[in-house]
Amino acid sequence: MSIIVANGLTQWFGPEVALEFVDLAIDSGEHVAVLGENGAGKTTLLRILATAARPTSGRLQIMGLDALKERRRLRQRIGYVAHNPGLYPALSAAENLEFFCTLQGVSRTCAAETLDAVGLGSVANRPAGLLSRGMQQRLAIGRAILHNPKLLVLDEPDASLGSDAADLLATVMAERTVVFATHDHALANRLCQRTLILRHGRSVGTATRLHVVR
Amino acid sequence: MNRYEKAAAAAVVLMLAAGAAIFLYAPTDALQGPVQRIFYLHVSAAITAYGCFAVVLVGGAIYLRNGSFVADRFARAGALVGLVFTTVTLVMGMLWAKPIWGTYWTWDARLTSTLVLWIIYAGYLLVRRLAEPGRQAARFAAVVGIFGFIDVPIVHFSVTWWQTQHPGPIIVNDALPPEMLATFFLTMACTLVLAAVMVVIRYRIETLADGAVQAVSERAPIVSAREPEAEPVN
Amino acid sequence: MTNSFAVALAVARKDLRAEWRTRELVPALAQFVILALVIANFGFQIDARNAPSIAPGILWLALVFAGLVAFGRAFAAEREQASLEALLMTPASPVAIFAGKALAATLLLVGCEAVLLPALTLFFGTPLSVQVVAAVLVATIGMASLGCLFAAMVARVRARELLLPLLTLPLWIPFIVAGGQAVQVAMGASGSYDQAMALLVDFDILFVVLTSLAARFVLDE
Repeated sequence: MSIIVANGLTQWFGPEVALEFVDLAIDSGEHVAVLGENGAGKTTLLRILATAARPTSGRLQIMGLDALKERRRLRQRIGYVAHNPGLYPALSAAENLEFFCTLQGVSRTCAAETLDAVGLGSVANRPAGLLSRGMQQRLAIGRAILHNPKLLVLDEPDASLGSDAADLLATVMAERTVVFATHDHALANRLCQRTLILRHGRSVGTATRLHVVR
Repeated sequence: MNRYEKAAAAAVVLMLAAGAAIFLYAPTDALQGPVQRIFYLHVSAAITAYGCFAVVLVGGAIYLRNGSFVADRFARAGALVGLVFTTVTLVMGMLWAKPIWGTYWTWDARLTSTLVLWIIYAGYLLVRRLAEPGRQAARFAAVVGIFGFIDVPIVHFSVTWWQTQHPGPIIVNDALPPEMLATFFLTMACTLVLAAVMVVIRYRIETLADGAVQAVSERAPIVSAREPEAEPVN
Repeated sequence: MTNSFAVALAVARKDLRAEWRTRELVPALAQFVILALVIANFGFQIDARNAPSIAPGILWLALVFAGLVAFGRAFAAEREQASLEALLMTPASPVAIFAGKALAATLLLVGCEAVLLPALTLFFGTPLSVQVVAAVLVATIGMASLGCLFAAMVARVRARELLLPLLTLPLWIPFIVAGGQAVQVAMGASGSYDQAMALLVDFDILFVVLTSLAARFVLDE
């Protein structure tokens, strides 16, 4: 069953084209990596798939719903980790998550469980601003899975994580449909069955077990 | 001549006709002298400016409702033309004030609210320019336009109310003989026609500009963007 | 579906808690208004005779500029931007999020006023009555919701220091006119205090409703 079906996604910012006619189909449970140089349009595409942004044109269906009309409904089932984690530095890790529990409408006990799941149980009460970059990334990932979403969209989640990035991500990604952007080909290979390559805003192909990008 | 040029020419002719009426037909004011003739264009420009703002309001509201870029373009056109007429109003007002009241400016309700109108228009155009072009600019500008349209009469009312708390000399005498009234209505009508023509022409310019932007960035779509299999290299 | 009321409270609490932990904004505002009063003294040559007529103006002047400083920073941080996006990715309604932020902004401004009003009394000998305080508090509600809305708008835009005052001040004028009159009367001038307060309440209702309706267009796409 298709989780994501996208046709002709195009995004202009004034005269600049960020994405051009990108087509995509992702099935339930698939893990898809999006690769490309900086500026190729990965973040733009991911934001559109997460319903954080609207494309200039194109069609997008997520979980059977028209993603351009049913954004609020879909967001309950989507988790998104943006390029910039956007945590609240003055609040502790636990407080950050508890706050989002209230916003997500889930019980606050989820916060503690999620902290453990991403390996931050020991620093629950440390202000988020004092966490290392890697821990902040884990917290952002935790925030994205608080409400147990079916679809996970991750923008370079491995950028600051250490060597155990793969393990953490594999755990988080289990049983979910995942789209994630990365520069790390080896990681993409390990975690994903399929990759989509973007160059200058266009999809130049998808592949299984990708390798090469000139 | 294409139809825009014809419309523009007609508008200019109408304004010349109004000008003739102002200087040749309308009588000289007994109290204020010839300077009073500024009144016809000054008040017409003021009403036209606010009318343009109504275009901005409606265009913005329609855009927010259904995302129509046609409405947004009319709003843009209305804002620019309205700013021009507001500037005309302010300048003529100052030119009129100096010989009559002895001062270029006074903080009465009309002048104050016209100044506020100018500031809001300026803010509207600046937001359009500084926000992300396309949907974000249109959305933010629409909100500014709606708030601004509601604000101007409120400011006018507030200042008027404040003056009832602090009574001062009443300045403007509004009784008009019939020839002056007729001249005023003629000028009003001609100015509105001029503004309408300007808005339509500006709308056309905006449409062309939008199209040009999209044409520049349009390239031929790739023939097949779906799932061509890349060679696994291993 | 999340309870909007709970969301608004949670957002407000989060903002206030963050401010309490960092203590950045309110002290900066307090310092700003005190300095403004000191400069006003020299600029206006204030003495016991002219204080009651000048002080209300200085109050609103200081409050308006402090408000601009506060809202200039409210949504400004890039981190704040990314956080806002994370908020919008939840089922919480943008109106509830906006209400929470406006509530927090109101309370922070009230914190600033808690310094401004006593300082005004101390420096210029003007009375600090319930009427003065009430007028300022009522005006703050409407002004804060407008400031919050436009702060959210300019946060995503370039040249925000230029744009924020340009957009916000025309909308604050009615509050300054009515509020200025209310405070003047409370400090001994002629005129109607009740009328001024009624106007302030009307403006509050009007602009709180309007900003709530506009919030979803400004916060979300």
